[in-house]
Amino acid sequence: MSGGVYGGDEVGALVFDIGSFSTRAGYAGEDCPKADFPTTIGVNAEEEGPADMGVEQESNSGRSYYIDTTALHVPRAGVELISPLKNGMIEDWDAFQAIIDHIYSKHIKSEPALHPVLMSEAPWNSRAKREKLTELIFEHYNIPAFFLCKTAVLTAFANGRATGLVLDSGATHTTAIPVHDGYVLQQGIVKSPLAGDFISMQCRELFQEMNIDTVPSYMIASKEPVREGAPAMWTKKDKLPPVSKSWHTFMCNEVIQDFQASVLQVSDSPYDEQVAAQMPTVHYEMPSGYSTDFGAERLRIPEGLFDPSNVKGLSGNTMLGVGHVVTTSIGMCDIDIRPGLYGSVIVTGGNTLLQGFTERLNRELSQKAPPSMRLKLIACNSSIERRFSSWIGGSILASLGTFQQMWISKQEYDEGGKQSVERKCP
Amino acid sequence: MASGVTVSDEVIKVFNDMKVRKSSSSDEVKKRKKAVLFCLSDDKKKIIVEEGRQILVGDIGDSVDDPYACFVKLLPLNDCRYGLYDATYETKESKKEDLVFIFWAPEGAPLKSKMIYASSKDAIKKKFTGIKHEWQVNGLDDIQDRSTLAEKLGGNVVVSLEGRPL
Repeated sequence: MSGGVYGGDEVGALVFDIGSFSTRAGYAGEDCPKADFPTTIGVNAEEEGPADMGVEQESNSGRSYYIDTTALHVPRAGVELISPLKNGMIEDWDAFQAIIDHIYSKHIKSEPALHPVLMSEAPWNSRAKREKLTELIFEHYNIPAFFLCKTAVLTAFANGRATGLVLDSGATHTTAIPVHDGYVLQQGIVKSPLAGDFISMQCRELFQEMNIDTVPSYMIASKEPVREGAPAMWTKKDKLPPVSKSWHTFMCNEVIQDFQASVLQVSDSPYDEQVAAQMPTVHYEMPSGYSTDFGAERLRIPEGLFDPSNVKGLSGNTMLGVGHVVTTSIGMCDIDIRPGLYGSVIVTGGNTLLQGFTERLNRELSQKAPPSMRLKLIACNSSIERRFSSWIGGSILASLGTFQQMWISKQEYDEGGKQSVERKCP
Repeated sequence: MASGVTVSDEVIKVFNDMKVRKSSSSDEVKKRKKAVLFCLSDDKKKIIVEEGRQILVGDIGDSVDDPYACFVKLLPLNDCRYGLYDATYETKESKKEDLVFIFWAPEGAPLKSKMIYASSKDAIKKKFTGIKHEWQVNGLDDIQDRSTLAEKLGGNVVVSLEGRPL
């Protein structure tokens, strides 16, 4: 059980951190989550009999779900991909339960009633949803104790800050969340849809322009090596089931996400065509065998994150670039705490792992911030910590012996009802 | 959100002794604390006074030349601490003394330590009633230069700190 690197007192608590892209779960006290899989899950609306009943199929109220990396990647007819989250908050409770059930049966392999649960939530989560979650946790799963924590607070604490601005750039959103003395300042939260998924979309358009087919590996039976830039030579697998569009798109996106991570780089100063033309090219090979060099595109695509004004398809938009998200958020907070926020800008989330992201942000902020402010950007060097910071924070917190008095216990829930969550976990 | 870590009575006593100035003999003044560090107990349940990590008023001019530089040296580079520093400074108009509460969490501290100290800061701060200046410090470069403390104390009106011009 627990007692790993951060091992504290033995409480056997579990930590769930469910993001819009991936779900992290594991025992408190350990240094990284036991499970890390896509939050997107497959759902089969119409039962087609036990045709491919496997261990990975999880059935719940007439819908069967395909959860976790392995099950998700098997092409199946009629399986649509959905996400239980919308805007970082739980929307599809049935699918959400399927994920929790999956974690217990496949990763934790234990009874929910034996372990306290600490769960992270979006800082803007609504009261109704928090109460509903509390109810579900206690009534359905019969969990002995529960705690709900805002992701931004966990991230700030894990970086040794009680006050700071958490810039979280994930798949669906880039968000700036001011944290003061361990509490989120709700009025200062600023969100922008310019994040990982937006970059994927830009890449897809680039591929269309360049007439590159994104062929996901599931379709490929065999391929031949081809010269650089030559059309791909590959044969399609026969007997592929008629997969749904959402599933195919997801698989294409995985190809694009790999491209994103390997090729793209944020320019350290505002995009300049001449500078971009000087960029060393990077060779990238698609799963189909097609390969080519990418040069200026490497800088041009991520530029939209920082300067959305020139992005095609977004003309006349009012979206905020990453630098603006930060300054706008700090600008909405009390003038007395602004120095503390500028002094601790904590960068987290998978999208910030793009090469050059923090360097560019640092540059933008030092130009935009009032000259009297001391500016400091904090970004963990390891990608594990950048992606899992809120899970790791929760892991340490939940493993503390002293934290036991903070949990909402089953007894407190029985006496105080679901409203206890507002009182105990502000 | 808090960690549930509690504050020992000794910490509160030290704080009150530093805050309240009783008229006392010069010998007692010498025993008064100029600066002190607090840490977590070994079982991570309580915040306690760290033994041997303090500067007495009487030390100044004796074993300690510059109390501020000496205080900065007390801070461990690989762990977090809380601290109280009794700053004396001058503005253009007057001489002043103020207690500063410091939360020290350097980048080199272990993640677990950062998490516990950050989540317990509220507990200790609540006990320090009437503290005017609170300072989150995350590395030597934030604190080394005495002008950063001067800025904290009074913006740009402070002309000297611990009797040394800025």
